[in-house]
Amino acid sequence: MSAAFSSNAEAVITRPLDLAEQEKRTGIQRKESDLSIAEFYDIDRTSSEIQSRLLKRVINIALQFPDEMLRDSVSVYLSLGAALRSKGYVDFNLFVLADTSYGSCCVDEVAAQHVNADAVVHYGHACLSPTTRLPTIYVYGRRKFGPERVATSFASACAELSPKSITLRMDVSCCYAADDIIKALQLRFSDMHISYSQLPGFQAALETWRSDETQSSHEPSAETGTILFVGPETLALTNLMITHGNYQVFRYDPASDTCSLESVRTNKLLMRRYTMVQRARDADVFGILVGTLGVASYLHLIKQLRQVLTQKGKKTYTISVGKLNPAKLANFAEIECFILVACPENSLIESKEYFRPIVTPFELQIALGVTSTWDGRYLLDFDKVLKDTGNGSIQDGADAEDEPEFSLITGKYRRVKNYGDRLTEDTTGQEKSALVSRNQQNTIAKMETAAGEFLNNRSWQGLEQNLGMDEPAILEKGRMGIAKGYREVDHAPENDVP
Amino acid sequence: MVNFTVDQICALQAKPTNIRNMSVIAHVDHGKSTLTDALVTKAGIIAQANAGNMRYTDTRDDEKERGITIKSTAISMYFEIDKEELSAIKQKTEGTEFLINLIDSPGHVDFSSEVTAALRVTDGALVVVDCVEGVCVQTETVLRQSLTERIKPVVIINKVDRALLELQVSKEDLFQSFSRTIESVNVLVSTYHDVALGDVQVYPDKGTVAFGSGLHGWAFTLRQFATRYSKKFGVDKEKMMAKLWGDNFFNPATKKWSTKPTDTDGKSLERAFNMFVLDPIFKIFDAVMNFKKDSIAPMLEKLNVNLTSDERDLEGKALLKVVMRKFLPAGEALLEMIVINLPSPLTAQRYRVETLYEGPMDDESAIGIRDCDPKGPLVLYVSKMVPTSDKGRFYAFGRVFSGTVRSGPKIRIQGPNYIPGKKDDLFVKSIQRTVLMMGRYVEPIEECPAGNIVGLVGIDQFLLKSGTLTSSETAHNMRVMKFSVSPVVQVAVEVKNAADLPKLVEGLKRLSKSDPCVQTWINETGEHIVAGAGELHLEICLKDLEEDHAGVPLKKSDPVVGYRETVRAESSMTALSKSQNKHNRLYVKALPIDEEVSLAIESGKIGAREDVKVRARILADDFGWDVTDARKIWTFGPDGTGPNLFVDVTKGVQYLNEIKDSCVAAFQWATKEGVCAEENMRGIRFNLLDVTLHADAIHRGGGQLIPTCRRVCYAACLLASPALQEPVYLVEIQCPENAIGGIYSVLNKRRGQVFSEEQRPGTPMFTVKAYLPVMESFGFTADLRSHTQGQAFPQAVFDHWELMPGSTLDAGSKVADVVKGIRIRKGLKPDIPSLDTYYDKL
Repeated sequence: MSAAFSSNAEAVITRPLDLAEQEKRTGIQRKESDLSIAEFYDIDRTSSEIQSRLLKRVINIALQFPDEMLRDSVSVYLSLGAALRSKGYVDFNLFVLADTSYGSCCVDEVAAQHVNADAVVHYGHACLSPTTRLPTIYVYGRRKFGPERVATSFASACAELSPKSITLRMDVSCCYAADDIIKALQLRFSDMHISYSQLPGFQAALETWRSDETQSSHEPSAETGTILFVGPETLALTNLMITHGNYQVFRYDPASDTCSLESVRTNKLLMRRYTMVQRARDADVFGILVGTLGVASYLHLIKQLRQVLTQKGKKTYTISVGKLNPAKLANFAEIECFILVACPENSLIESKEYFRPIVTPFELQIALGVTSTWDGRYLLDFDKVLKDTGNGSIQDGADAEDEPEFSLITGKYRRVKNYGDRLTEDTTGQEKSALVSRNQQNTIAKMETAAGEFLNNRSWQGLEQNLGMDEPAILEKGRMGIAKGYREVDHAPENDVP
Repeated sequence: MVNFTVDQICALQAKPTNIRNMSVIAHVDHGKSTLTDALVTKAGIIAQANAGNMRYTDTRDDEKERGITIKSTAISMYFEIDKEELSAIKQKTEGTEFLINLIDSPGHVDFSSEVTAALRVTDGALVVVDCVEGVCVQTETVLRQSLTERIKPVVIINKVDRALLELQVSKEDLFQSFSRTIESVNVLVSTYHDVALGDVQVYPDKGTVAFGSGLHGWAFTLRQFATRYSKKFGVDKEKMMAKLWGDNFFNPATKKWSTKPTDTDGKSLERAFNMFVLDPIFKIFDAVMNFKKDSIAPMLEKLNVNLTSDERDLEGKALLKVVMRKFLPAGEALLEMIVINLPSPLTAQRYRVETLYEGPMDDESAIGIRDCDPKGPLVLYVSKMVPTSDKGRFYAFGRVFSGTVRSGPKIRIQGPNYIPGKKDDLFVKSIQRTVLMMGRYVEPIEECPAGNIVGLVGIDQFLLKSGTLTSSETAHNMRVMKFSVSPVVQVAVEVKNAADLPKLVEGLKRLSKSDPCVQTWINETGEHIVAGAGELHLEICLKDLEEDHAGVPLKKSDPVVGYRETVRAESSMTALSKSQNKHNRLYVKALPIDEEVSLAIESGKIGAREDVKVRARILADDFGWDVTDARKIWTFGPDGTGPNLFVDVTKGVQYLNEIKDSCVAAFQWATKEGVCAEENMRGIRFNLLDVTLHADAIHRGGGQLIPTCRRVCYAACLLASPALQEPVYLVEIQCPENAIGGIYSVLNKRRGQVFSEEQRPGTPMFTVKAYLPVMESFGFTADLRSHTQGQAFPQAVFDHWELMPGSTLDAGSKVADVVKGIRIRKGLKPDIPSLDTYYDKL
């Protein structure tokens, strides 16, 4: 993992990748003998999409690769260039983007804008979060498996259930075979209703954020049902289970060619997330972590989170640290809970190694009680989270004032701190010269601030001045450069990266 | 039937000299609740006919079903003492009317915390002892507790009817048995001699011991008999009482008293106690039980007992009950004993203030408490929460120690973590209503002055379990209660439907409120844990949780035990961890600390909050620590107070003070979730030997140091032969001789160790004491019963932490299996992380 916000170029090139490990999860690669570059990377479709969607003659296109596909980038660059040229394009530029600031599943719009790109071609695993600025062409790659095997193993796995209708969901790397799978399933279960929505190969940018427009077509409408997921055990699956708590979720694993019921874990997963909700309830100082720049409406969400937290008298900081790691977050010791605003695939962080809990915006809303109460439903989608808050009324906490809260983490009562500006609200309209009453100890009550309080509790509060006690020092030459890399200090990373 | 009104009680509440706050305490099944009924009958709330089988203070359905008390229950009673007895009261009184606030408490060891909560608000205790079983483990426990709280005991030897009817003992045997029981109570009491409290041993000849049968509703102290005989003999009552106990013999021939069991002629004399006290009782029993109808009537006449015509037709035990109840009514005897011998709040608070109040003894609150002054500043201690009929709401139950509590004015509500001058755990609110707690009913009252027990409405949301209420801004807290039991048995509960999670959370909160001892929390893996003192306690808690507090179906795990992680030796080499940027290095060694030190920390003798120098002195003087080391303890953990220490033994490290906060935070984290099984650590000292830090502050911030310090603690533990400690119960089992074999076989199967086996003199009963790992105690009671044909009844109470043999790193050892089990349960990888996860090579 990178140590700073953006790691230096050399580190990215030399970083070793565990491909076998990646393969099991989201990453897939083209094996030499498999498919040709043109087939695996859909060069034809890409070039025709470009032709049909972009009507300009001069175009800049960014090709975004995840780490595991990076080695094919040159071949793709060359073949796509050839394909475009054959379609009559002369004046075009292709750029290869690698090592995204956040998850490689999201479209890195900001990096693409650096090269003035008109469109992004996103390769590999994608979370399909809507983008705001640039149109995107998705190329998912192809994971090898036999569609008819899906039907057979699913039939044996759900033998005693015999569902009337199922919803088919695919990992993006398998979706090329969707039609075959549906065919195979229909062959086996003649009377079963199969619903499936094609994953998009192209996505236009949402120019403005519209809260009324939701992609409800994606979602299975029934309250309960059966879902068949084809693909490896990814975060996408976890998200699917957690957002569809009432569903039976079966997963066909292409690698091992087996189908199994996954939703037995759902309850445990939800309980674990509910723990995070409880921990968020116990916090008074929050850090909003910007974990994406690509997902549409993230700015609205951040704004709203800030607003809600301020209303509840919590202190917020907004920070952006690139890819997360425990060391980065532990630098913000005064923050008691982090809220990660990121694409659904990157939202659920198992924060075992982290010093402070990391929750999703939805969990925060539950914790603060601004949204309708927890009913086993779970939302990851930004638009829905935003809408959900719209429905739930944000009541002012004045009635419950300073009632203590029962914290399940400690099993004790906890006094909720209020860092809000309620005081200033109260005094507006009154005369500014109003007297401040002194309490018995003859001290004027001070406004509490989160940072001030934290500093007070620290044993080390910064350099001591020792005025008049130390000899005046002689001026000497200090270090050169920035903290990240002073010239005098050896910053070369050692090899045994943990 | 109520023979007094609330107005009468309110009038008495204002006279602290005429109030007696007392609890009834005893071993399980020694007859507290039944005896309490006898008292309540006297106060006129229960119909006479039902006394003995009604259990007025058992308010819950499951209490009635199981026949055991689970919650302590308070009741206020009115008693008017005979004018002639007034002189016997050795403290200030006004008039003959008395208000007795009585709290009936549970006897089962699992509910000891209820007893503690009851003792706090009372000044005296009626200790009930079964005359056959004698002083048992729980009798000792509660007696000890009451003495440390400076509560004066009086004793009743109960179930005398059993001795007469079942064991058919002779008079002299009965006397010997009584004196042995009293002796064993006094042995215990004398070890707690407290100058402030004075001599609180019990003496029958001073009227502080009663004998009786709660079931039959009769009891007596020697005072009753002395009253009868003093007129006949023309002796002073007090002198007569002295003659009626011990080695005093009466020679009917010469009408002379003697202290020798034989007269001048060598003829044996009968002991006065046997002759004057036991003889009439024995005669009644004999006559009634053997259907000697003819001899009954004259005997009753002689004893001034008048029966109604209905009662005359009764036979056997029913008749015996009626006769004995008329002859020696329990209510009068006991209430008289209580009023005469137990202290009034005015008397008691004078010496109790030192142990009750944390603040200086000369501030206004302390003076108010000392004088029990209804006009002083309000000081009220809430000792527990009692559920109301309104679901989810509670009465705050407590005692007014100073001032007067009434609804309306704003008062300060100080939780257990309140520190004077700070705002933590402090609320300023007003009370909605004050009520009088009357068993299963409450009576609203206007106000309640100092010295009384009261229920408060409308402040339950500000207090979890207990706390101090006051009107004084300078008041400190009342001292928190120390429980004799710890919640060592845990159960993980899970909702069947994830949508019910919020209800479960609310339920756990209510459960936590409703019981002084239970603990609830949520762990990392999302399991909701309920921890209780024992199996029975947990069973009751979970039933309440499922049926009342949460009201949703639950899945319950098998009971599990909380372990502690510790180390056996000093780390075999210095553990080293590097920060992520490789520029900071921490060198740490772990080593075990003495059990005595751990215990001292846990009991608060060595506190994290204490002054560094004082603490260092104690460690050096009492535990042989190096003073310089002791002064450099950075922190205690987990939670800043636990029995693990982080000690800085570095020499001249630059910037060290900058990383202290990061290390403290990391240490709390590491000690809370140990390396082996993520259980709390216990008894480990970490020595910070050396530190290398980056020259620039940005590179040695919390981000680099917190994860590193946690890792180095883990590495040091792994190098120090990590081990587990398991909680161990002290079990006391009472049984007849023929059941002992069964007990041994059950204990052996469960890794139990017997360390004492005694026969109770004069009875066929044996008392076996053993240590039993809590882990092995699940189902122990049932197993024991089936192996002894139901003759053995165990009482188990948490005693200590015991180091389990072997290291957690030895594959195949028992302790390694335990660790694996915990890890799987918690959803962790089954194997302990290897050393190189945490240890970095230089």
